[in-house]
Amino acid sequence: MSEYIISAKNVQKYFNNGAIKALDGVSADIKRGEVVVVIGPSGSGKSTFLRCLNLLEVPTGGSVYVNGVDITDKKNNINVHRQKMGMVFQHFNLFPHKTILKNMTLAPMQLLKKSKEEAEAQAMKLLERVGLPDRADAYPHQLSGGQKQRIAIVRALCMDPEVMLFDEPTSALDPEMVGEVLEVMKQLAADGMTMVVVTHEMGFAREVGDRVIFMDEGKIVEMGTPQQIFDNPQAPRLKEFLSKVL
Amino acid sequence: MKVSETMQAFLDTAPDWILNGPEWLNEFCYSFFKSFIHDSRWMQYVEGLGNTLLLTALALVLGLIIGIVISIIRVSWDNMHAELRPGVGKFVLRIANAISKIYLTVIRGTPVVVQIMIIFFVIMASSNNKILAGVIAFGMNSGAYVAEIIRSGIMSIDKGQMEAGRSLGFGYVATMRHIILPQAFKNVLPALVNEFIVLLKETAIAGYVGLTDLTRAANIVRGVAYVDFLPLLGVAVVYLILVLFFTWLMGKLERRLRVGNISKQMRSGNKKKEVAA
Repeated sequence: MSEYIISAKNVQKYFNNGAIKALDGVSADIKRGEVVVVIGPSGSGKSTFLRCLNLLEVPTGGSVYVNGVDITDKKNNINVHRQKMGMVFQHFNLFPHKTILKNMTLAPMQLLKKSKEEAEAQAMKLLERVGLPDRADAYPHQLSGGQKQRIAIVRALCMDPEVMLFDEPTSALDPEMVGEVLEVMKQLAADGMTMVVVTHEMGFAREVGDRVIFMDEGKIVEMGTPQQIFDNPQAPRLKEFLSKVL
Repeated sequence: MKVSETMQAFLDTAPDWILNGPEWLNEFCYSFFKSFIHDSRWMQYVEGLGNTLLLTALALVLGLIIGIVISIIRVSWDNMHAELRPGVGKFVLRIANAISKIYLTVIRGTPVVVQIMIIFFVIMASSNNKILAGVIAFGMNSGAYVAEIIRSGIMSIDKGQMEAGRSLGFGYVATMRHIILPQAFKNVLPALVNEFIVLLKETAIAGYVGLTDLTRAANIVRGVAYVDFLPLLGVAVVYLILVLFFTWLMGKLERRLRVGNISKQMRSGNKKKEVAA
């Protein structure tokens, strides 16, 4: 197994036949067990970059390797690789027509061919972990935003992913609910999960991140440890950004 | 005075209180007798009703199948043609989408009466299976409308749902099946019920190809009994009852689908209360 779980090589994403360069040659390697936080102003391409990692956005150019396999190569079945890459969205995207438990067991039962009992046992264990076992039979619309996002995280965990991708997981939440979601993510990081997190939560980036990537205009401007990025920024654009958000 | 055979039969069967009653009652009952009772004519309506229901049910199934397939082709093309890399798959989808569009235009742009006549008298000229011709004609016609209804339902689902399904590892078709379509169906159920009712009533033109449906049964009786009002009124009442019944049934189903989550929660809430007690 290669050292890098995800390896992005010169990834480009153009819209309108190249008129808009959302990603303009981004390369990054994610190590196993590492927490990488991607920050940057809106429109900098950080979400697009994250979505390219599991091909929700198909790159215009460049390659993405997952466990050493080029997933941008059409010959490789992307669905198999996505099973190992959990994703959490800004707007939760829970399935509103299914109960919490069914939300969590659908993919393991259909894709991993787990038995109902096995899938439900695992789901209940995860629900205990995020403190929501009593909501198993509720429907998504009956939950608060923070609860929804916690469920979205454990729904992804039900597939036993090797890496978790977070696309601004706290941006759509009421301020008082941000904490409970970040807490779950910290716990996950402490358990050794590989994570790529796009966020505006600088506190989280500094505390939990092993590495921070700062992006602007579709490029990686600076990359380093949280100390390097937050305490000793080099690029003028990063300094300007930090002066505004900190 | 010499009375006709039919009149004789009426005089034999009708109870005295009718025969001794006022003239308008006499006339009405005679007309009723000719329309429904004499020669077991009601059997013709029953047979016609059976054909109407069979035709509607089979056409509904065919229409749903065609509608689902076409709507998925159209939505898939609209969503993915910009992302798909050139290849056999994209080519096939392009052709399928083009065919679907032509199909929708032709079917929705021509009268269903003409369609059923073309299918029975031209395309199926060598066969005399009227039910089959009717099912194909009405199924294809309904399919075009169902396709657009379901397409609007699919498009009403947030695109995050597709992304969530795909990110878990589901393929496009599996995501459609498990996540998108169940939600889409729920949203468009009222429109689908409406289409079903339109279909039920539209089958009344099946008589154009000689299929004895409910309407044609009334027409046949009109021809032999020389009564216009009651056969037509009777048939209208039967259609109305059918429509009311199906509306009621679908309303129930719809409410169950919509309230399903709430009632379930109430049930689990009750359980908890029981435990607490």
